[in-house]
Amino acid sequence: CNTTEVRNHGFIMPDSGLEQVPVGSSKNQVLIVLGTPQTTATLDNEVFYYISQRSEQTFAFSRPEITDQRVLAVYFDENELVARIADYGLQDGVIFDFVSETTPTGGADLTFIGQILGGLGSAPTSVF
Amino acid sequence: CASTEADDFADFVDDTRPPAVMFNEALATMERGDYRAAAEQFDELEQVHPYSEYAKRSLVLGAFSHFSSGRYPEAVNAGRRYVTLHPSGEDAAYAQFIVAQSYYNQIPDVNRDQEQTARAINAFRDLIRRYPDSEYVGPAQEQIRFANDQLAGSEMRVGRYYLDRRNYVASINRFRVVIEEYQTTRHVEEALHRVVENYMSMGVVDEAQTAAAVLGHNFPDSEWYQRSYRLLQSGGLEPQENSGSWISRAFAGFTGQGS
Amino acid sequence: GNGTLSLTPTAAQAATVSSIQVEGNRRIESSTIISYVTVIPGRNFGARDLNESLQSLFATGLFADVSLERRGNVLLVQVVENPVVRQVVFEGNRRIDDSALSTVVQLEPRRVLTESAVQSDTQRILEAYRRNGRFAARVEPKLIEVGDNRVDLVYEIEEDERSGVSRITFIGNQAFSDGKLRDTITTEQSGLLSFLSSADVYDPDRLDADRERLRRFYLSEGYADFRVVSAVAELDREQNVFFITFTVDEGPRYQFGNVEIDSTLRELDPEDLYSVLETRPGDTYDATAVDRSIEALTIEVSSYGYAFVQVRPRGDRNAADNTIDLTYFVDEGVRAYVERIDISGNTRTRDYVIRREFDFAEGDAFNRVLVDRAQRRLEALGFFERVRITTSQGSASDRIVLNVQVVEQSTGDFSFGVGYSTTSGVTLELSVTERNFLGRGQYVRAAVGGGLDENRTFDFSFTEPYFLGRRLAAGFDLYRRESGDSDDNAYTTIATGGALRIVAPITNDLNFGLSYGLDVSEYDLDAGSSASRAVLQLVGAPDFTTPTAANYSNERVTSSLTWTLVYDTIDNRTTPRDGYFARLRQTVAGLGGDAEYVQTTLDARAFRTLSTDLDLVASVRVQAGNVWSWDEDGLLIVDGFFKGADLVRGFDSLGPRDANTLDALGGTTYAGISGELNFALPYITEAIGIRGAVFADAGTLFDPVGSVDNIAGLTVNDDNSIRASVGASLIWNSPFGPLRADYAHVLASETYDREEAFRFSAGARF
Repeated sequence: CNTTEVRNHGFIMPDSGLEQVPVGSSKNQVLIVLGTPQTTATLDNEVFYYISQRSEQTFAFSRPEITDQRVLAVYFDENELVARIADYGLQDGVIFDFVSETTPTGGADLTFIGQILGGLGSAPTSVF
Repeated sequence: CASTEADDFADFVDDTRPPAVMFNEALATMERGDYRAAAEQFDELEQVHPYSEYAKRSLVLGAFSHFSSGRYPEAVNAGRRYVTLHPSGEDAAYAQFIVAQSYYNQIPDVNRDQEQTARAINAFRDLIRRYPDSEYVGPAQEQIRFANDQLAGSEMRVGRYYLDRRNYVASINRFRVVIEEYQTTRHVEEALHRVVENYMSMGVVDEAQTAAAVLGHNFPDSEWYQRSYRLLQSGGLEPQENSGSWISRAFAGFTGQGS
Repeated sequence: GNGTLSLTPTAAQAATVSSIQVEGNRRIESSTIISYVTVIPGRNFGARDLNESLQSLFATGLFADVSLERRGNVLLVQVVENPVVRQVVFEGNRRIDDSALSTVVQLEPRRVLTESAVQSDTQRILEAYRRNGRFAARVEPKLIEVGDNRVDLVYEIEEDERSGVSRITFIGNQAFSDGKLRDTITTEQSGLLSFLSSADVYDPDRLDADRERLRRFYLSEGYADFRVVSAVAELDREQNVFFITFTVDEGPRYQFGNVEIDSTLRELDPEDLYSVLETRPGDTYDATAVDRSIEALTIEVSSYGYAFVQVRPRGDRNAADNTIDLTYFVDEGVRAYVERIDISGNTRTRDYVIRREFDFAEGDAFNRVLVDRAQRRLEALGFFERVRITTSQGSASDRIVLNVQVVEQSTGDFSFGVGYSTTSGVTLELSVTERNFLGRGQYVRAAVGGGLDENRTFDFSFTEPYFLGRRLAAGFDLYRRESGDSDDNAYTTIATGGALRIVAPITNDLNFGLSYGLDVSEYDLDAGSSASRAVLQLVGAPDFTTPTAANYSNERVTSSLTWTLVYDTIDNRTTPRDGYFARLRQTVAGLGGDAEYVQTTLDARAFRTLSTDLDLVASVRVQAGNVWSWDEDGLLIVDGFFKGADLVRGFDSLGPRDANTLDALGGTTYAGISGELNFALPYITEAIGIRGAVFADAGTLFDPVGSVDNIAGLTVNDDNSIRASVGASLIWNSPFGPLRADYAHVLASETYDREEAFRFSAGARF
């Protein structure tokens, strides 16, 4: 029995979506056909990114693995017309370990005693 | 059967001592540092002599005593009652500060619901809005910054969660919330670096460069910028630094950092 | 309070006053009152300003009455302050004590008393009594002036007896007995033991939930047209009990006619979608199977790239042959993406423990089925009293924000267990369990147990359900068990050890476990005791003279690796009616340590409901096991299997035995089969819920371990003959847990087996 579960994350390309937003079409046209971008350029929102991913999970316990990934970058010129469209695939991705340090944060952590006392306070005594 | 409580309320004997005596006794208890008892004595004074001038003072000192003995819900109630009864009283700003600080002290760690953090921020903002020239405005602004740092921390936590699972869209948008709405917090540097990591993982190198440029421009000597710089230089070929042996990752798996 | 607005008629148009005066205030400063008045001396004001001032003064809740009056050029504000509560007293309450009531009401000493606050507190007290099952309670608030505009608030409460549910009857049900339907709903009839549970108390909300349970039960048994016509609760005033009558219209029992998939998605061939459906033509109609099929279809289709798929079923009834033709309409739903998943209410549980139950991330397509799946998973965690997932509009028209609101419940249990079985006597167990340790979703359990015959057990176990961020339940156990000498073994054992384990779900019914165990056991035999030679060998006695001249003790280390495969589709743990359970386990000992063997065991059970009306359930159980060693003295007596009633009921212990000392020697191989018919005992025991059962067992245990076999001078009684028995049992699902009494009549046994016709035990063994 095939236990693999396939999932599609992120942007779902509508049928023949790409053909309807050729170079030169307006930003509104892109918004209508492709919808709101998944994210935009960090600086001046002048690039629309549509990111989609396909992952497979062989067993219920295994971590889903990315089997396909497409990043569609739609660049606009100064009068908001599509200047060019770039398409990044899975192979463009760079493999590296993420930095493990994190910026410290405060706030009262739940201590063991706090939890047990808290938990016990209202614990129902069930007789076996 | 006749309920024993029939005359219950009759035996509630009014403390006949004049408010001044009760106030001084409570004040002494507070100065001794026995805040719990002082809080009760101030409450009792307010209950018996609600119209005396001392009632007003004992309301705010009661709030302070509850606060110092760590009973924050009671401190909030007392503080709020003072502010509604005497909005223009001389201790109103202080009472509002106690209310806000009570919420602030109950802020949990970033993994959990930040409702108290939001309440603290609103209470401090009320203080600044209602009593702009009170001496508590300075500390209130300071606490708002820390509380915002906590809200940013919770966004960062979710951002890293999605980065670990390589859900790049989710991760980028969470870090952008920190970059756009929490620029004054310490997290913004790491947020920018994480955006660089996200785009590099997807291969969109030019976007990674813009994010790194923004980081370098605003925080030239931050170690997060060093890391972004190294990642861009190396094109990510050799790993940044290995995140320890399998055992340390497994241990992290137990303590929840791994997930 | 009703504000009066008395203005001289001429002031209809704009007017001005030069000053504002306040009268009647005692506690609240005039400056505070004036700050709420929008009229500014010297500036024009109109009726609207006065109205606004009135509103804001009342909104403070500090005043019983406010009036604004213009006298010449002075605006007179007359106020009557609300009194201050000196104390709140409850009289006549016995069932709910003062402290409980004072947490329910909001008015407390020093608060300002308002009419509305008293009303709402009275309602809150009534609500508390309703939830406690007392619908006829009456609450009367009384105010007593104590001078200085202070007042004592006294609630006079008249409780009366709990309104229990004396009888539940069903009208219009032919397919299922009243008893069966009573089992499906939660409201119970008051019976002998009703003081233990509150489920027999009438509660209208529970009654509505029961209507839904009945509907869902019938819909899953083929009755597609089922309707609860009415659910009426009549209160009998004298005995203060309710009679509840459900009138139902069952309608015909349907089967699935032909089942079709009608898809508007182009490059998708419906043919290869049929395999995921659980609704097969000819099967009895089952609404839950339809729901499961919709979920499976949605996930299957979205894996082909149609993430916005929407599956809607339509059933066409054909009355002629009582079948329902089912068509699944598969088409593209609304294209919307999840913008954010905001989690709130988790004051203890950490964010990722909740977030990881979602199969989709922010930025993914919005799919209702995956949201419901996450909801079910969150509820199954057992950490939350309530999980509510609502959607709200995101920052763009095609963006949705998911708001996940959880209400946490206590996940800590402190339980005290009393177990009894004729073989091991009374056992007591004290355990502390925390299912959401430090809000990380981790499970921690510590237990201390003891029996009358010096048995002591200490257990600690820890499990992380998402090891390394995957659905891998990894954990460890630590234990120390001391078992004293009881009648059938003269030696004492002190076992200390632990295990590292990991369990991986293969599918949601099948999971695979791997664990490493390390056990250090010390076996002691006191001087002057007589025991079988096998025991003397175990404790390392130099010769076999009995009674023993000195104390002997032997320590043995077992280091083993175990894999386990468990398939489990049992529907209900305490009273299983359907499903299979199979556990195959193999342990290899010998990674260091003294013991060297391979032990394999199988335990498989099947349950099937033969008739839902009689609630008759048939079950079969097959057991088998073997232990083998590649080196003769790798096995000692303790490594063998010791079987009794757990293999064939009617036996205290069976299998190989020392001919002279009659000590059981254990066996290397066993097998057993047992069939049982289990049914609800009608009438007399209906209220208490006792079930009866008849059973037949057969099984054998033979061939003691090698090292025992070749002990010189040990004569062993051992045959691989079948032992068999038939018998009957009473099973009671008491509030203390499942209790069971078995009576077995032995049909075949060996003379040296030790029989035991009657056996009583507590606790379900799975």
